[in-house]
Amino acid sequence: MLRSLFLFDMTFWLYLAAFALYVAYVFARKPAMQMAVAGHPAESSSFTTESDQGWAVQIGQVATIITVFGWMMNTAALFTRAMERMQHSGTFAPWSNQFEAMSYVSWAIILGYVLLEFRYRIKTIGAFVVGIGFIAMGAASLLPYRYQTAEPLVPALNSYWIYIHVSVTLTSYAAFAMAGGLGLMYLVRERAERKGQSSQLLAVLPDLETIDELGYKAIMVGFPMLAFGIILGAMWANYAWGGYWSWDPKETWSLIVWLIYGAYIHARMTRGWEGRRAAIYAVFGFLMVIFCFWGVNFLLSGLHAYA
Amino acid sequence: MNGKSEALNGQSAPRPAPGIGWNEVKAELIEFFASIKLAMFLFLIIAVVATIGTVLQQNERADVYIKEYGEDAYRWFLRLGWTDIYHTWYFTSLLALLCINSLTCFYQRFPGIWRSMHQDKVSVQLPFIKNLKQTVEIPVAGTKEGVSKGIVQYLAEKGYMVLAKNEPGEATLYATKGIMGRVGAHMAHLSATVIVTGGLIGSLYGFQEFGVCIEGQTYHIPKGSFDLRIDKFWIDYHENGSVKSYNSTLTVLEKGEEKTTKTISVNDPLVYKGIWFYQSSYGDSWDQVDVARLNVKDKKTDKILQTVDLQWKKETALDKLGLTVTLSDFVADFGFNSSEKKVYSKSVEHENPAIKLVMAEHTKKSALEATPWIFYHYPDLFDIPGSQYRFELVGYQPRKFTGLQITRDPGVTIVWIGSTMIVVGISLSSFIYHRRLWFKVIPARSDGSGAQGESSVTVHFGGTTHKNQIDFNKEFRKLTERIKTLNV
Ligand code: HEM
Repeated sequence: MLRSLFLFDMTFWLYLAAFALYVAYVFARKPAMQMAVAGHPAESSSFTTESDQGWAVQIGQVATIITVFGWMMNTAALFTRAMERMQHSGTFAPWSNQFEAMSYVSWAIILGYVLLEFRYRIKTIGAFVVGIGFIAMGAASLLPYRYQTAEPLVPALNSYWIYIHVSVTLTSYAAFAMAGGLGLMYLVRERAERKGQSSQLLAVLPDLETIDELGYKAIMVGFPMLAFGIILGAMWANYAWGGYWSWDPKETWSLIVWLIYGAYIHARMTRGWEGRRAAIYAVFGFLMVIFCFWGVNFLLSGLHAYA
Repeated sequence: MNGKSEALNGQSAPRPAPGIGWNEVKAELIEFFASIKLAMFLFLIIAVVATIGTVLQQNERADVYIKEYGEDAYRWFLRLGWTDIYHTWYFTSLLALLCINSLTCFYQRFPGIWRSMHQDKVSVQLPFIKNLKQTVEIPVAGTKEGVSKGIVQYLAEKGYMVLAKNEPGEATLYATKGIMGRVGAHMAHLSATVIVTGGLIGSLYGFQEFGVCIEGQTYHIPKGSFDLRIDKFWIDYHENGSVKSYNSTLTVLEKGEEKTTKTISVNDPLVYKGIWFYQSSYGDSWDQVDVARLNVKDKKTDKILQTVDLQWKKETALDKLGLTVTLSDFVADFGFNSSEKKVYSKSVEHENPAIKLVMAEHTKKSALEATPWIFYHYPDLFDIPGSQYRFELVGYQPRKFTGLQITRDPGVTIVWIGSTMIVVGISLSSFIYHRRLWFKVIPARSDGSGAQGESSVTVHFGGTTHKNQIDFNKEFRKLTERIKTLNV
């Protein structure tokens, strides 16, 4: 019925393909080249030069192309949805219900990943981060049909604040998803290192310090963005609900998530909070984001619960 | 007390303090309150306490908790303050502690950052550079002055602030960039207190009320010493029938004079003299109707003689039946106060609606006046003695009320100032990172190994950053390459 649903479907399949290709890429790479790196994070020049041969090069290239293509499809889907909303109810924002919000988060995760790949040239991250983007898209398409359509907005949502408040908050979630993926990657690599040199993974993943730093950077993008998103929400509430803060479960949960990452960035300044602990914390933080995004809407009641 | 704190300023003179003096206590206190460990603890404990308030519904009626959790649990909730956890003394204290914590951190660290923006950091020794996390030694062809100049020029192009010291045996350079990142962090630290202060002012000097208002009425707003007239209320619908928006047109009157008129809707309040009027809800009035439809029946035959629509408080004459009726009152949920002998509405729900008629009957057979209540659900409840007729209420159109929230919050501007500080502060600290570089340019000893007439120098180069190691490493490598190929 809705043209956008078809495009969202296509996006889902493309992300699945991209994810599979990135995983294949990890396993197609030749281990030998990277052995020296593991023990010497100080010579960190090596992470920028992933040297691939044979199949790996092609698989990697195709993975990137499919990812970019999937992202364009995702863009088209969101845009089409925006047009449909415009027709039905005169608002534009293609992130007005749980389904659209999930699709938008996938879009932001994949965009973030593509930028990261072009900047740092580390494709193996795709196996983790594109994976999360794919799962987000998949979870969206599993929602019942009535959540997927473009119903008109209830009056409280019908405002230009929805454009900026929701998109900023969701983009910060995407940054935390990126950090969570990198944290997972860190733990995988760390486990491989403990098991010994023989592991294939050890050879193909970037060194621990790089993963750690990138994860930190992702959180440093998400943290101010979430602060901004929460404050925009407060400004909106000041217009819609008659008070900038009412301890509604959703806004409280986003504050909780923000506090959790606040503890993280301060922890990094004390000793012992880099590496493994930080990685576990980043994964934990991301789980909290998921709860804030999903759990609150479906489990707790409140003013935000219109999903 | 006064004398002691003055002694603080002249710290050069050590006080012969027996035991623990004020200075030690103060140092300990600052140490404690400026510790990052305390900050982490507070962040997490506030998060945990806040979580409780999201799982347990807040400010519900007692029976809601008892039904769900039982009486014993409810007693504990009350004891622990969990039914209104965000206003308990301990939650407030945690917020206050966070403010103290971040202020102390600011007090302890910001002066150093401020000084380093203006201070000479160029007097360092060679071992200092060699001990930095990133450090290299590069031989370069050129004179000490020439190479230094080349480096300074390149760094200046890259936006570094550079200090140079030229001494006979060596030249030392200090370069720094991105101090705003650290200033930003401290801006964020101040913002916490600003926001909490704004919130406090709001809760002390602000108010929040809810008003149920009916079209056409004028209400006095005591806290604003002006009047508010509800000109109109209506609802807009989407094509599919769901509510699109609800709106009220309001006029502010001061001493009877119209000051301003605005149509408010959800998301678009009226603001007058610092008081905000929000479109908050709407509903069916419980004590007024616009129209009610009445069947007049013959008591004996139970046949409908006439159906009339009665306007609110307007007399209607049914000449054929010898009747005049007026719809004089309405309640949505009939209740009777027997001590005061008064009818009232037990709730705002339309559970047991009833209208009151004022009627006069003058026919050949009867002459009477009466004020019967007619029930929607119980048409046969009361008989009107002596009358030939029976009345049946078959429907009515309740008057809509508009629910207005009326709020004043003098702290809100301060909250927005604090919010701006926090967002700008964190963004600065996230996207700008502080880097410091040191160079020593030392001429190679002229032991004859160098070519004739060509001097060469060794550049010792080191640097640190407090974060963003990857990008810093990249930059460091680029700089190293650049120095190697310096052409002077
Ligand atoms: C209340 C909310 C707070 C916010 C929003 C906040 C935010 C920040 C941010 C964004 C940074 C920069 C992090 C980085 O450069 O990686 C920072 C640094 C720091 N924070 Fe906080 N912080 C808060 C509370 C505190 C508290 C209570 C303390 C108490 C000790 C604290 C201690 C520090 C320290 C020591 C630094 C390093 C400052 C420097 O680089 O000179 N923070 N904070």
